[in-house]
Amino acid sequence: MTVFDDPDAAAADYLFGQMNEAETLAFEDVLARDAALAALVRRWRGVLGELDLTAPELPADDALWQRIVAATAAAPQPRPAPARAAPRGWLAGLWDSLPVWRGVGAAGALASALLAVASVTLLQRPASDVRLVAVLVADGATTPGALVEIGSDGRARLLPLAEIPVPEGRALEVWTLPDPTTGPVSIGLIDRARQTGLAVGDLPPPTAGQLFEITLEPATGSPTGRPTGPIIYKGLTTEAL
Amino acid sequence: MTDASDDDRFHADALLACAGGDRAALRALYDREASRMLGIALRILRRRDLAEEAVQDAFVQIWRKAASFDTARGDGRAWMFAIVRNRALNILRDGRREDLLPDPMGSEIADDAPDPEAIVSRLSDTSRLRRCLEGLEPRRRAGLVLAYTHGLSHGEIAARLAVPLGTAKSWIRRAFLSLRECMG
Repeated sequence: MTVFDDPDAAAADYLFGQMNEAETLAFEDVLARDAALAALVRRWRGVLGELDLTAPELPADDALWQRIVAATAAAPQPRPAPARAAPRGWLAGLWDSLPVWRGVGAAGALASALLAVASVTLLQRPASDVRLVAVLVADGATTPGALVEIGSDGRARLLPLAEIPVPEGRALEVWTLPDPTTGPVSIGLIDRARQTGLAVGDLPPPTAGQLFEITLEPATGSPTGRPTGPIIYKGLTTEAL
Repeated sequence: MTDASDDDRFHADALLACAGGDRAALRALYDREASRMLGIALRILRRRDLAEEAVQDAFVQIWRKAASFDTARGDGRAWMFAIVRNRALNILRDGRREDLLPDPMGSEIADDAPDPEAIVSRLSDTSRLRRCLEGLEPRRRAGLVLAYTHGLSHGEIAARLAVPLGTAKSWIRRAFLSLRECMG
């Protein structure tokens, strides 16, 4: 439901920059809650975006980029707040019920079945440039928990395949082990099981057999830079055909 | 010219990676869009230094808000453009464009008399938006285009088109509604 008498007129004023700051804030407040209004604005942004493309292209130099780097470093990306809470007792019970973490190889018997699942998932994606896949499983589990896919362009992403309970004040941290002698490296922190890009850009290109894992950590990430919480899922990369 | 769906995928992937803290993905978005975003901001702000400030603010917001971008929507570029437009319009509303003297070191000042017809003519020949804009009465078209591309207020449009303020205001809204009807 839209609270504006005339949502089109309000959207027009908003999109054409005719609102003052207070009106803009009020409009954006409604926009955040009103799916119909959001869809209207989104559609018009797409249409009017053609006018944005008539703007001249001006050289954007490295100095401007360096200022952006400095500004984002001064105001770091907010760590996502946990979206919902799970009762602590329930979670503790879950961990108690999980079998002792054994080697990743213990999942080997399931590998072909899991990769079949992974293939189906990948086929549903538009890209065919996936170079490496890691199916992450909970030790002893029979179904995959998450998938890491690494593109030929070096980008990596996490695709959760199962819900993961995250208690309040905690988050899921994603790790990889590019070099066993230097230890695991954090490549992502998410508030809940959702798709996310993984920050592997500064690491050596992942190779087949490289470990990826998800651990439960404080909401702001592991305080030590190393995994401190229980491993939820882990798996090794395999080359995609 | 890249395919629109390739573009959508590029932006969605890069924004996902930004959400994961991958600064290289932010740089990729900068390399791809910052030039255009500077142009968008400069049309509104007419001062290179303020346009750069708008683009800088926009990329900081893109970095911080990347996790809230819904990749299923697949319109990452429009999302980024909306952020830089909002930043530029905010700076414009602060009144700084008028307050600050031109930079003696030679900030570029965009032309003071933007030509709405030239802007429309830069739209693709096959653009439905172009056909719909060309269907509008010329002064309404001018008002609508300049409000969007140059951030002109109702008052500025009224002055430019030599009509009362109320008329300019209703023209913009009605032109928008005509456009909506035409776009279907």
